[in-house]
Amino acid sequence: MPFDSATLTRRHLGNRRTLVAAGVFLAAAVSFAYVQLAPGNVQPTMAGLRLGARFLARAFSPALTYEAEVPEWTAPLIWKALVAAHTTAIFAAAAISGALVGGTVLSFLASSAWWAADPAMPRRRIGRCGSIAIWFSARVVIAFLRSIHELLWAVVLLAAFGRGQLTAVLALMIPYTGVLAKVFSEMIDEAPRESAIALREAGASPIQIFFVGLLPRAFPDMLAYAFYRFECAVRSSAILGFFGFPTLGYYISASFDNMLFGEVWTYLYVLFAMVVLLDWWSGSLRRRFAA
Amino acid sequence: MTTIERAIVLERLEAERPRNTFLRWSLAAFALLVAHAWWFGDFHLSDFTSERHLENLYRFAHELIPAPLQGQPWSWSVALAWCATLMTTKGWPALATTAAISISAIVLAGCAAAGLALPATRTFASPEPYLPHSRASGRRAWILWAMTVAVTRAFLIFLRAVPEYVWAFLLIAVVGPTPWAAVLALAIHNTGILGKLNAEAIENLDAQTLAALRALGAARRHIAVVGIVPAVIPRALLFLFYRWETCVREATVLGMLGIVSIGYYVQDARARQQYDVMLALILLSGAIVLIGDLLSAAAREAVRRSD
Repeated sequence: MPFDSATLTRRHLGNRRTLVAAGVFLAAAVSFAYVQLAPGNVQPTMAGLRLGARFLARAFSPALTYEAEVPEWTAPLIWKALVAAHTTAIFAAAAISGALVGGTVLSFLASSAWWAADPAMPRRRIGRCGSIAIWFSARVVIAFLRSIHELLWAVVLLAAFGRGQLTAVLALMIPYTGVLAKVFSEMIDEAPRESAIALREAGASPIQIFFVGLLPRAFPDMLAYAFYRFECAVRSSAILGFFGFPTLGYYISASFDNMLFGEVWTYLYVLFAMVVLLDWWSGSLRRRFAA
Repeated sequence: MTTIERAIVLERLEAERPRNTFLRWSLAAFALLVAHAWWFGDFHLSDFTSERHLENLYRFAHELIPAPLQGQPWSWSVALAWCATLMTTKGWPALATTAAISISAIVLAGCAAAGLALPATRTFASPEPYLPHSRASGRRAWILWAMTVAVTRAFLIFLRAVPEYVWAFLLIAVVGPTPWAAVLALAIHNTGILGKLNAEAIENLDAQTLAALRALGAARRHIAVVGIVPAVIPRALLFLFYRWETCVREATVLGMLGIVSIGYYVQDARARQQYDVMLALILLSGAIVLIGDLLSAAAREAVRRSD
């Protein structure tokens, strides 16, 4: 093979990866132009910059007590932050528990292994067309659930049901069901098939093959992913506070609107602590357990 | 094998199965937390099922039908005309802005992360990259490099620990409700994530090639340009597209803070109680997220196959 520069350049330019990279930069140029993202167009006012500087400066001195006058009987700031963190965790835990149930069921229906699209697996009694129909509709339901952001679900559910705490849980639960179902079904489909095939050779029934041969192989990854999603749910739950639910986001936005930046950092650090703790938890589960 | 033998074998297998204490404690703790949540959370099913709420729900469901069709017999032509007007007045601009915000943000994040990944890489940011430390380089150089890595990593953690929505909320106060606020918010958060992922990818590169470069006398910048960048680009592109999917999803809602992505139009329709418009726009946001997922999957496949 000749290694002159012309050949190399041609080979390099024809490369799919180069095309993708070029596409990215072209898309970026068009996007920058569309939203008029020229550096000159960002004109922070002096007041805005001063606000930003004051806010960032408080990162090193979060408030330990209230920064504004509060009625005498108000609970201490730290206590309030911890209560908000507790509510945040409760919403997330309730939502993820529901999403785990719904997501697992949906993921069975949406996994091609379950419906035997794979020739290595036994065909189900329901027949080819019926199984494809169920598989496909499960995929459509999953796509619908997960593609709409939890905050948009919150907007719809708030309008439909009002500001009950169950509304927040439901708003988190719906998209997380979709995401868990999608990823679980992929994990089931990608799990090693040897034991499933061996079970089939030995004459096991489809149900036995699925639950004994296939599911246990995917289970570690599914569990680790579920914990990771719990961490995401905590973050989303905190953000839901911006819509008036009593989670950390509510207090962050309230304190920020009153320019009490030290308090904002207190709440933010409580959120960091939760996220870092959960990150450590799900990370060590992955390291010790998952493939 | 007799039945008894089989029972013994099964029993031994059962006794010898791998156990994981950490996993057991984790599952128990999680189960407790969930039980606690449902038990002590202030959740009332009556929020959904009481008479008043059902009445509200019924009225709300009625208002989800396109306005010209409420109380009228269904007609496809009216519905399509309604959709067409909605798309030209709000739909297309909202979609275009959302896409543009997400693309701008992820490219900015990719560039920033490329710069921050190298100083966050333990193998590269050391006195003698990829070679055993020599005493000659000294303790001070070693401490300086270790500090560089620690500070960069802490900075990246800080960037990604604050959620996008909170960054946008803060940035709007500083730069005003322009697309810059949304783009910067997404870019900042994703710089933190991409920087970490890229640094890990660089640490996982085959160290022998890079050590050979260093042994031949290549300077640090030569190793970076010739050895690291070409080898890590495929992974970096995969991460970029993977994060872009999330960016599209987040870009849809950042509009609710007053920037002109699709969330802005949703919030606007909600404020005017035009629930039909609101629902249509929310479905549209779902569509653009799905399209983003498909594009990203196709691009990642192309990157993977060109290896």
